[in-house]
Amino acid sequence: MCTGRIDPALIAKAFKKGLDGFLIVGCYFGDCHYISGNVQAKAKVDMARRLLEHIGLNGKRLSFQQCSSGEGARFAELVTEFDQQIQEIGPIGEGGDRLGKPEIFEKLEIAEAVLSGEKIRWVIGKRTPFLESGNMYGEIFTEHEFRRAIDMIIVEETEVQEILHGLRQGAKSVRELAEELQIPSERVFRYITALKRKGFVEMAEITNRTPVYHLASQEV
Amino acid sequence: MENKKTLIVGAGPVGIRTALERAEAGEEVTLVEKFPSLGAERIPRNRLIKPEEAFDCPDLQKVKDHPNIKILPYSEIERIQQTNGKVAAKIIKHSLRVDNEKCNDCKACIRVCPVNMFDDFDEGFTFRTAIDYYNPSTGEYNIYKEDMPVCQRTCPVNLDIRGYVGLIADGKYAESLARIRERLPFPASIGRVCPHPCETACNRQYLDQPISICFLKRFVADVEIAAGIEPTYETPDKKYPEKIAIVGAGPSGLTCAYDLARMGYEHIKVFEALPVPGGYLWVGIPEYRLPKKILQREVDLIAKMGVEIQYNTRIGKDISFEELREQYDAIFIGAGCHKGLKLRVPGEDEYEGIVDCVTFLREQALGIRKEGKGKLIVIGGGNAAIDSARVGWRMGFDEVYILYRRTRKEMPANPWEVDAAEHEGVKLQYLAAPVEILGENGKVTGMKCIKMELGEPDASGRRRPIPIEGSEYIIEAETIVPAISQGTDLSFLPQEHEFKLTRWNTFEIDEQTGATNIPGVFAGGDVVSGPDIAIRAIAGGKRAAVGIHQYLRSK
Repeated sequence: MCTGRIDPALIAKAFKKGLDGFLIVGCYFGDCHYISGNVQAKAKVDMARRLLEHIGLNGKRLSFQQCSSGEGARFAELVTEFDQQIQEIGPIGEGGDRLGKPEIFEKLEIAEAVLSGEKIRWVIGKRTPFLESGNMYGEIFTEHEFRRAIDMIIVEETEVQEILHGLRQGAKSVRELAEELQIPSERVFRYITALKRKGFVEMAEITNRTPVYHLASQEV
Repeated sequence: MENKKTLIVGAGPVGIRTALERAEAGEEVTLVEKFPSLGAERIPRNRLIKPEEAFDCPDLQKVKDHPNIKILPYSEIERIQQTNGKVAAKIIKHSLRVDNEKCNDCKACIRVCPVNMFDDFDEGFTFRTAIDYYNPSTGEYNIYKEDMPVCQRTCPVNLDIRGYVGLIADGKYAESLARIRERLPFPASIGRVCPHPCETACNRQYLDQPISICFLKRFVADVEIAAGIEPTYETPDKKYPEKIAIVGAGPSGLTCAYDLARMGYEHIKVFEALPVPGGYLWVGIPEYRLPKKILQREVDLIAKMGVEIQYNTRIGKDISFEELREQYDAIFIGAGCHKGLKLRVPGEDEYEGIVDCVTFLREQALGIRKEGKGKLIVIGGGNAAIDSARVGWRMGFDEVYILYRRTRKEMPANPWEVDAAEHEGVKLQYLAAPVEILGENGKVTGMKCIKMELGEPDASGRRRPIPIEGSEYIIEAETIVPAISQGTDLSFLPQEHEFKLTRWNTFEIDEQTGATNIPGVFAGGDVVSGPDIAIRAIAGGKRAAVGIHQYLRSK
């Protein structure tokens, strides 16, 4: 299988199941049978690592390494090294990460939702054209601009998914969500209006002159 | 009688009603609306809350179907001009970017749109998606796309500033320089001398300070020089046979040659009156601001593309303008403004020792005028005045004065240049103007000045200086350099020419192509705009290059 086929959502799912480390070993750049599969894999894994660090996981738990199928010794070396690294960090949520159990698993669920969402997948998939041939309007982006865009998307999408996660437990007002999620209320309000516009959220009722929102029923 | 034409701005309920009334009366109505849907300010309040309360005017469909009404949605009025009792308006029409004929209003695009942006309707209070509509009853979709970044929009040549500054941040210096050279052949020179309008507009200044766009350009260009890399400019394999003459090897002329060479023109010849290239960049800007060898290197790179530069050839003297027109298929005039304007005070033409700033700087740059002694007075407050004064100080004048009739705040020169001049020891005198030049035995001995005070703002927005009666005083000086602006020198044209000129003695050109009223002759740079900054001259050269290409290919 090609490393390019590894779905970023799979990474979050694996950690959610309680895995302590995730090592991806693929071909060297330039050796790819599909020309650029491993380059895209690296971009996806880097993006997933930044998201996992953002939600509070230790980034060292996810590693992307390269080695050819003929280099048995190197493969053994990579695995031993990674195994040692993980043993030093310890089991997930027990001191080695910014968050402890069980919050970390809740956050990982949000991370999985972010990585399954359209926005981040579309943007990371467009990485090569954005950096090389330009977007629809012919604007070519630089690497740090792209990285900054990804970082912004990570923050935004995490907050959006947290709001949706919060609303899944029942109808809430903007202020209640802001307090629960520690997000400034004007940002929560903007996300709510955007989600409402897109048809994901509806206003349930108005109690004490405060609108209360709940998830809209999704018909497909 | 011709039909009356009416322009209605704003397609709210009143606009729509008026448009219908006028159209019924037989007038040709154009309805301009800044939002993509009709209904103006009435729509968006409803668009988020209750679609069933959307703006739904009974006249809406009538307006759309009326044969006499032309609707321009998503358009803005840029300028309105009045001439001969008629009014002309310049309207910018934005693209909707959605084919609303084919759209079936399923809203799937809004659901999945990944771009959240601050809503342009409610001043950013909420988010909108990039694709959206305003009026639920009509559902006219549009994709909102921001214009170029403000720096790129401000730059006369629209350099991809966002791109090249970003590439520097990535550490990709060679790519960054290549990105600059796509539009500008003088990164090292312009990076040193440009007054950078882009930085004045930079959005970063509202946070801390603007990005140093100009010096970053100089930096990448200097990295290449320091690394000893000799770049080569590629020209396409497909060549065109036409011959093109370029008058003046200044920034506009050389840029025009560079662009044409990159389009594939092989026979480009640049005629330069002086023995050096660069025009004002060489003979106007002093060595300490722009080292000659930096400029020479960039000119050599252009020459290496196959552009021939013939020095010491003055049109009208060494070769006549008619000959040029016979021998070449297209001509670009980028002769610049190399004539210093006169003070128009008594005694100006009588005594030796008065030299205008253009001549003063040129003779210094060419090594004709090497030393100075005694006192030097420079009159004026622009960059040419500051350059003259600082050059004079370096030439060895004992005392250097700058006389300016307004105050420092109104000076058009770059403020950092004024600071540097003052720091070096140049003395600045504000609110003073020359009245008479004094002299003895044919030589200048001094100047009578008068003190000024500031009155009401004039057309340029600066306060007009008014002389104070009876406040005359005398400054002694051996050399006086008026630096009060420059004009064009069109003596290279034949006596009887048919060019259309403006009242400032500059060429009148077509704003899109740079073409003069004579077919095949194009103009750009200071000879069109009057004295201006280098980067605008370069923009003029680029515009003419496109114009020449279109002209030659459509012949």
